[in-house]
Amino acid sequence: MKKLAGLAAGLVLAAASSVSAADDSVGKRLFMQDATPPCGVCHALNAAGTAGTIGPSLDEMKPDAERVARVIRSGLGAMPAYAQLTDQQVQALAQYVSKASGGAK
Amino acid sequence: MSTPTDLGRRRLLASGTAAIAAAGIGGATRAVAQAAPPAAAAQAKPLPAYVSWKDADSMIVHSPNTVETRWSAFGSSLITPADRLYIRNNLAPPDVSIVANRDAWQLAVEGVKQPRTLTVADLKSLGVDALPMVLQCSGNGRGLFSDKASGTQWKVGAAGLVIWGGVPLRAVAEALGGVAPGMRFVTGTGGEAIPAGIDPKSVIVERSVPISALEDAMLAWEMNGEPIPHAHGGPLRLIFPGYSGVNNVKYIKRLAFTRDETDARIQQTRYRIVPPGGKGHPSMPAVWTMGTKSWINSPAPGQRPLRPGWVQIHGVAMGGMNAARRVEVSIDGGKTWRDAAFFGPNLGRYAWRQFVLQAQLRPGTHQLASRATDTQGNVQEERTPFNASGYLNAGWRAHMVQVTVA
Repeated sequence: MKKLAGLAAGLVLAAASSVSAADDSVGKRLFMQDATPPCGVCHALNAAGTAGTIGPSLDEMKPDAERVARVIRSGLGAMPAYAQLTDQQVQALAQYVSKASGGAK
Repeated sequence: MSTPTDLGRRRLLASGTAAIAAAGIGGATRAVAQAAPPAAAAQAKPLPAYVSWKDADSMIVHSPNTVETRWSAFGSSLITPADRLYIRNNLAPPDVSIVANRDAWQLAVEGVKQPRTLTVADLKSLGVDALPMVLQCSGNGRGLFSDKASGTQWKVGAAGLVIWGGVPLRAVAEALGGVAPGMRFVTGTGGEAIPAGIDPKSVIVERSVPISALEDAMLAWEMNGEPIPHAHGGPLRLIFPGYSGVNNVKYIKRLAFTRDETDARIQQTRYRIVPPGGKGHPSMPAVWTMGTKSWINSPAPGQRPLRPGWVQIHGVAMGGMNAARRVEVSIDGGKTWRDAAFFGPNLGRYAWRQFVLQAQLRPGTHQLASRATDTQGNVQEERTPFNASGYLNAGWRAHMVQVTVA
């Protein structure tokens, strides 16, 4: 029984991590080209190879996912809200940016 | 910092297609994330490179674009030195190369009878003046509202008293034949390079103020006796004394007298006094002039307990568009007030004045407050009504300092 439970847990974990990897690639694509305008035009993020300088460097800011999602939805300062993105897209971006910048909690 | 925007964009585009195909990237990213110590965020952030010359011990780094003067770092000698002055940039500053030849910086002047592009050298031939002024971020005091607005949680340190050197804007307008008929606003445009792919109006720093501000406005190239540091808007900054920070456009490249306010987002929907929970709209009051305000700099909050006995309670008081005429200080949380004395030079209507009250404090906890009145009789409000973006907090109650005497 224990073995089976362990195996099941392992499968769940594997599934979770593959979902997360998929989200990362969606998030990365949004960051680099799919969002309008793409985040990387303004923000530097080493993991994405972007070097935009008009907005703060995300490698320096290291925002957590919650902060990224909040700013994408509502805007902050000079950055407009990205109202056209779906909740799923916002989540994918938030996960990607927080992990790639080192800000994930 | 110095990476040209074009290069950034090219790198972005070039790496785009290749990186998306690489399935391993997500895994690599996670490894990097795990390697980064999560505690790093809790430690004090270092000064951003473009302001690395600031006095680190006097500053609080909130973000690359927002750096605050510590409450305890104002001192008692009136002027705020450049290396302790706050930073608030809406956009990252232009490349530092723009100050390599300051006199060659160009300003387009429009909405006058003879529109022209002038260099800083040209401007220096048209007039000269010096202008002391409280430079204060629109959001100074946001972090002292009991309601929370998003944005940097400034306390008192997004403000300073500086002296600008430059040419009165009136002299420039007169030299170009005067303001064209029917113009109601002065509109300044910042020189930050907006990358391709972004609607410029969505991020450009372009602000309009009522044309009445022309009277004392300045095009400044000096601050506190030196060329304006690049981080503070050099080679050329538009100054409207009495108006909050955002209206004083850095790296100004275009100055226009206009019939209407600019349609830039920073004017239309940002920097408006918006009811809590609402969204900015051009019909709402713009964040323009500052009001009557004072606060105590010493004793500053968060210091070690004071010894019982005499304390010099001192701070600064301003009237925005008018000089401060009177300051009262309370040591009992606003129940009773006593007149404080002004000390130090009086630098005119747009500067702050220093005030002091000597008081004997007994062991215990004390709530110290200050309340200013300007030359027009406007009294500093007890509470500034909260607005959605947390702008222009001047309430004396929110600025009280709690001290312990033991």
